[in-house]
Amino acid sequence: MIAQFVRSSKPFHASRLSRVGQSCYSTTPSKPSLQHVAQLRKLTEVSISKAREALSQTNNDIQQALEWVKNDLAASGIKKAANVQSRETREGLVSVCMLSGGSRGKTSLGGGGIRAAMIELNCETDFVGRNVLFGQLAADIAHTAAFITEPTDSSTIIRSCSLDVLNDAPLLSQNNPSSHSPSTVSSSIRDLIAKVGEKVSLKRAVTVVQNPLSGQSPNLGLRLASYLHGSVGSAPHGRIGSLAVLALQSPELARRLESETFVKDLERLERALARQITGFDTRSIKSSDGDETALYNQPFMMLGGESANKPVRMAIENWSKQQGLVRDDEEGGIEVLEFAKWSVGDIVG
Amino acid sequence: MFRLAAQRGIANKFAGSSRALRASSLYARCRCSTWKPTSGPFLPSAASWGNRRGYAEAAGKFSREKPHMNIGTIGHVDHGKTTLTAAITKVLSDKGAAKFTDYSQIDKAPEEKARGITINSAHVEYESDGRHYGHIDCPGHADYIKNMITGAAQMDGAIIVVSATDGQMPQTREHLLLARQVGIKKLVVFINKVDMIQDPEMLELVDMEMRDLLSTYNFDGENTPIIMGSALAALEGRDDSVGKEKILSLVQACDEWLDVPPRDLEKPFLMPIEDVFSISGRGTVATGRVERGIATKGAEVEVVGLGNTFKTTLTGIEMFHKELDRGEAGDNMGCLLRGVKREQVRRGQVIIAPGSMKAVKKFQAQIYVLTKDEGGRYTPFMSNYRPQLFLRTADITVALTFAEGTPDAEEKMVMPGDNVEMVCELVHDVAAEAGSRFTLREGGKTIGTGIVTKILEYA
Repeated sequence: MIAQFVRSSKPFHASRLSRVGQSCYSTTPSKPSLQHVAQLRKLTEVSISKAREALSQTNNDIQQALEWVKNDLAASGIKKAANVQSRETREGLVSVCMLSGGSRGKTSLGGGGIRAAMIELNCETDFVGRNVLFGQLAADIAHTAAFITEPTDSSTIIRSCSLDVLNDAPLLSQNNPSSHSPSTVSSSIRDLIAKVGEKVSLKRAVTVVQNPLSGQSPNLGLRLASYLHGSVGSAPHGRIGSLAVLALQSPELARRLESETFVKDLERLERALARQITGFDTRSIKSSDGDETALYNQPFMMLGGESANKPVRMAIENWSKQQGLVRDDEEGGIEVLEFAKWSVGDIVG
Repeated sequence: MFRLAAQRGIANKFAGSSRALRASSLYARCRCSTWKPTSGPFLPSAASWGNRRGYAEAAGKFSREKPHMNIGTIGHVDHGKTTLTAAITKVLSDKGAAKFTDYSQIDKAPEEKARGITINSAHVEYESDGRHYGHIDCPGHADYIKNMITGAAQMDGAIIVVSATDGQMPQTREHLLLARQVGIKKLVVFINKVDMIQDPEMLELVDMEMRDLLSTYNFDGENTPIIMGSALAALEGRDDSVGKEKILSLVQACDEWLDVPPRDLEKPFLMPIEDVFSISGRGTVATGRVERGIATKGAEVEVVGLGNTFKTTLTGIEMFHKELDRGEAGDNMGCLLRGVKREQVRRGQVIIAPGSMKAVKKFQAQIYVLTKDEGGRYTPFMSNYRPQLFLRTADITVALTFAEGTPDAEEKMVMPGDNVEMVCELVHDVAAEAGSRFTLREGGKTIGTGIVTKILEYA
């Protein structure tokens, strides 16, 4: 009775009855104050009704309420996810994480191996797609995929990554790799669903993990190129993304890679190739003459300069010669081995 | 002769109207563009849609008595935008000021959604005491920006819908950013589902948070009207205190707080020059269609653009072979300009009320690049791309670059389908201001359309 009265009374009544009220705190949920709810929402971005529930369950203790929210997020995420299960997700982001870009890359790990991943995360509206929470999760999932994949012997270098494995993997944040959060990729997705109230789904993922070829021959090297189009700000995700594996072959390779100007030129060429793949309707690397969906037949507009009107094949052959990678009749130079190109909302067969 | 000139001017207008035709076909294409190519044989379905919709119903005749404005609802998918829209039409239809449009009619799912027609302008309409509103739903950012640029759906004001149970969501920021980006200066907030919460005090929090957020995004957070009610209650006709009454106060708040865009007639005079004639004994006549405002015989005017800007007097106005004392927006007319030689005036210049617009050389613009399916380019372009810019009757080569300070600008590309902010540097100056629309063409096809957002350099 008293408790009921306290709950329904106005604040000034409450203060008059504070002693009575306090004696009730231990047994009945108290009425959360506006300030606490506001504070909790700033900290967690949960809905007002959730924040209020959390506080009344924990006697207005912010620390405990935070804990409560964390535990509840899993449960309410599952509930919310089930609610929105049937909805369509056509918006979202393609995110690329490159942990090691290959021989002498800026982000080289372990002497020139390549390690990267590309994922597509979907949501319902592009309002959510443009939100930082969504972008951060996409980047973290890409980072996780790149991190957990083991090199295997297979005929292709770009391999699709099992979504089941990825969903159960612990989420490894890109910005904070040392933090051991107990959440998995799928539970993080559910947490986001609980926060934004839209269906969020992981559509596909590919990874590129390859040990350095220099063990086999010092004349061989692998490099990675990627480009993301339509990113908001300078974030590592966009609406169209591509990831390409390039091979370098030259007797001079080791020596050339020591030159900083060479590496800079190489990076410039790689970026141009990735843009070319993304910007043009590229479906294969090589094909019969005249097929403009084959990368090597397209005019290399993205490199600019005098190469702009030459086919990519000729432009990169010339580049290899100019850079002294190959002499006139030698095999080698630079070559595009494989690529993957995705647009958000692609229909995957 | 003068008459003949005006006549020719009108004939020329018809020739010129092929431009208008192009513009409208561009608009049509833009609408088509959201039709997914995968949606099968779209022609028959488009035809059947047209049939079902029908022409204006016999009973309804659109009255122009009240000022019109387009208003949109923005908000999270589950916060009740559609319910609110239905509720507004329901409540106002009781007064005979709207036709009740129920949920299923507004949410023309699923076949319309399947074809990707996401923005449905003026599909729902209603009247308040003082105004006529066209209602736009705004489901996506990119779609909306594109429609804003092409002029297909212009939102003059917006209602942000927030559920009282959730409060603002992470993406509410994106909703406000969109409103900012499309030039909306004032908003009204509707806090929905107030009948679903147990503790009315929480409404204070929603109110407080929304005002905070509005101020963060440069809206007037302090004075923005926030209406709290339940759209569902209004729609179901129960709990009038949170239902019907709140809908009425929402409409009233829109009437009082949102500003009606000035009508064309109220704006300063502007006539783009389509053709110029020299008439012996009288002088030089420029013809064109008045875009906005009113001009009277004997008024001071200014001819602006193409490197030759000067003042003169309008000594005569003629339309349909008859002399007039005044010409107004929508008129095809000839202007006799005092003491002006034929060589001084050219197609592409404008005749305006003195000082109401300036000739510009360089400006920033929001550009939508048409996709291949919309008849645009197949390939991307880079900085310093030089298409032709068509603004009113002017046709000028323009260089498109990225704004100063853009990282890696020389390696940035723009793809068909993109919305981009770019800097446009013109070879000749032309009269323009923020809000002027233009199209970009190359090799005889339209490749993009844009809207001026900021003037960077006057001539």
